[in-house]
Amino acid sequence: MILIRGVTLFDGVKITEKPLDILIDGEKVVKIAPSLAVEGAEEIDGTGKILCPGFIDIHVHVREPGFEWREDLESCSMAAAAGGYSTVVAMPNTEPAIDSAPLVDFVARKGASLKGARILPSGCVTRERKGHLIAELGKMTAAGAAFFTDDGSPVSTSQILKTALYYTRDLGVRIMEHPEETSLTSGGQVNEGLASSVSGLKGVPASAEYIDVVRGIALSRDTGSPIHFTHVSTALAMDAIRRAKKEGLRVSCDVTAHHLSLDENHVLVSKFDALYKVNPPLRSKADVKALWEALGDGTVDALITDHAPWHNDEKDLPFQEAPFGIASLECSVAVIMDTWLKLGRPVSLERMLQLFTSGPASLLPARWGHLGRIEEGALADLTLLDLEESRDVDISSWNSKGKNCPWKGEILTGWPVMSMIRGSVFKKEI
Amino acid sequence: MNWRHKDLIDLDDWTREELNLFLEQANYMEELLNRPIKKVPALRGKLIVNFFFEPSTRTRVSFELAEKMLSADVVNWSSSGSSVSKGETLRDTAWTLEAMGADAVVIRYGAVGSADYLSRKLKKASVFNAGDGTHGHPTQALLDLHSAWKKLGNLEGSRMAIVGDVLHSRVARSNIKAFSKMGVKVILSGPATLMPTDIPSLGAEYDPDPRSAVKDADMIYLLRIQKERQEQGLIPSLDEYHLRYGATEELVSLAGKDALVMHPGPINRRVEIASEVADGEQSIILKQVRSGVAVRMALLYLCLGGVRN
Repeated sequence: MILIRGVTLFDGVKITEKPLDILIDGEKVVKIAPSLAVEGAEEIDGTGKILCPGFIDIHVHVREPGFEWREDLESCSMAAAAGGYSTVVAMPNTEPAIDSAPLVDFVARKGASLKGARILPSGCVTRERKGHLIAELGKMTAAGAAFFTDDGSPVSTSQILKTALYYTRDLGVRIMEHPEETSLTSGGQVNEGLASSVSGLKGVPASAEYIDVVRGIALSRDTGSPIHFTHVSTALAMDAIRRAKKEGLRVSCDVTAHHLSLDENHVLVSKFDALYKVNPPLRSKADVKALWEALGDGTVDALITDHAPWHNDEKDLPFQEAPFGIASLECSVAVIMDTWLKLGRPVSLERMLQLFTSGPASLLPARWGHLGRIEEGALADLTLLDLEESRDVDISSWNSKGKNCPWKGEILTGWPVMSMIRGSVFKKEI
Repeated sequence: MNWRHKDLIDLDDWTREELNLFLEQANYMEELLNRPIKKVPALRGKLIVNFFFEPSTRTRVSFELAEKMLSADVVNWSSSGSSVSKGETLRDTAWTLEAMGADAVVIRYGAVGSADYLSRKLKKASVFNAGDGTHGHPTQALLDLHSAWKKLGNLEGSRMAIVGDVLHSRVARSNIKAFSKMGVKVILSGPATLMPTDIPSLGAEYDPDPRSAVKDADMIYLLRIQKERQEQGLIPSLDEYHLRYGATEELVSLAGKDALVMHPGPINRRVEIASEVADGEQSIILKQVRSGVAVRMALLYLCLGGVRN
């Protein structure tokens, strides 16, 4: 038994004012009360900290199978737990791509029995992620797919996206669209605007994201199927999603840690350090501001990392030659909370915490519907957050194999200090 | 005044004072070039590697001449394509150059940011950017500045029209920095398909009509139009480009007979420039080439620890 004492509780919806004691027995939260006396329980002092449902990241590039030198299920699971997450969703753009039930099953089984966070599989929308024919979405649903996505690319054509939306309407698994109109972004390296003008690099316009989001909204309306837009990075696309939500469409979206904390100036000020090369690119300051507004007004449903680990030999290249991606699983919570603190808490703390917990949980298939909340009898997936903890991003201590982190060495405030998965403490730094 | 720059990646952090000092130094170097015996021993014993990973003749030859005039030991390392395609990354190449004991590396490389990257990887050697993709070509800007300054004197308050493919032009980007630091108003012109989206961020203005752009200009700077742009569909044809934006005698006459016509070379006759203009009296294109050697001598001399006379 583990007793967390004197902690501020965020149950997935709201924060309780008075400190509480929380008793965990086995895999479950068994008792929540102002003051508990339990003999023989291991005690954790939660004073001044916030106990939350285990954080959920629905967009992580685990790289297994096929690219295990960049990351694998084991290292990713440990990195996620160290970063404060208890559940992450693996993207299917591996080699082979996760496009069939046996492959989903492989990730599901292995992902359920790791030392750190559990890893849920997602499957491709199309066979081999090639965009020609829809994959066996029903079989993959049965095998445990949490999302369907061709992430790394958008679903190739509007017709295939429409077909997939119809086909998944009664499956209960959402399609996650990587919004990018590729005829406008081909060869693009940085945000179109300041960064592209100053560098001469091909720009990735905001309109490319907007066009694909509008396509997805229209097809969601036509089919009556929900659609989720991932790593939304522009004010333009966010406005479209906001309007669609107002219309009552089942549209959802997420935002990354890096798009909330970095902008295109970082590419220029760093003198083209490839650590800042990511797709979608770091956007304008106005876009970053719009993303924060969208967190506050309910347009955004989840915060993600889009953790994209690379081996240093692959990433340490001149900007234009380097691959896209930022590794952030082990610091993303602090990156987001530090930015939130520095901006003067532009969004309520409850809202921020929802976006790490009940928000993403609401997007998962019903079998995972129990995640993202704390109550008596609930699974003991817990994240203990300390908003006063300041420390540097020490990539040398990371569990993740990917060290391509633009915040390395930076001192950030607001860290997860303990993660519990199924009642087991992963890491205790109290 | 001590020279504080060890490298030249781009001109962002050069002050006007430094540019003025530099121009005087370049003048001095040009005088040397006019002597019967041109060579001076200023950089004797220094090893300079000209690392050219993109086809270039004039820039490489100009650097090599400058290095030889100053008695440096020169190694040319040329190839086409990126080192990555040959299986070696620029990081390993940088370490190889360092191990060879290079005192300076002149780099021409197709990727934006490659000169910055190389300077981060080299602990000791100076790095001179001879063109990093579409981003910067600062020695071209310095030689353009030198040629214009010699003709016009103080450039404060003068106007320069840059006409052509600004979008893909490292020459334009570096030139805007160099000339605007000297107080020149820079106006860009050309089809909108060949313009960056955020022109104010570059410190310039845009006028879609080359006729009004060149009006009252003291300098008309023409950019090379690559055939590729037609293949990419950014312009309908080279002929249409010439008709709408090419520097014809008529266009140049709108600027007045004292305006200088400049071009980084190599020129495409009957595309961005008519032969009558290229070979005409207002053209200083060949003077730019001559300035190139002097400017690069001044750069190497100042950055590699030479003491100013």
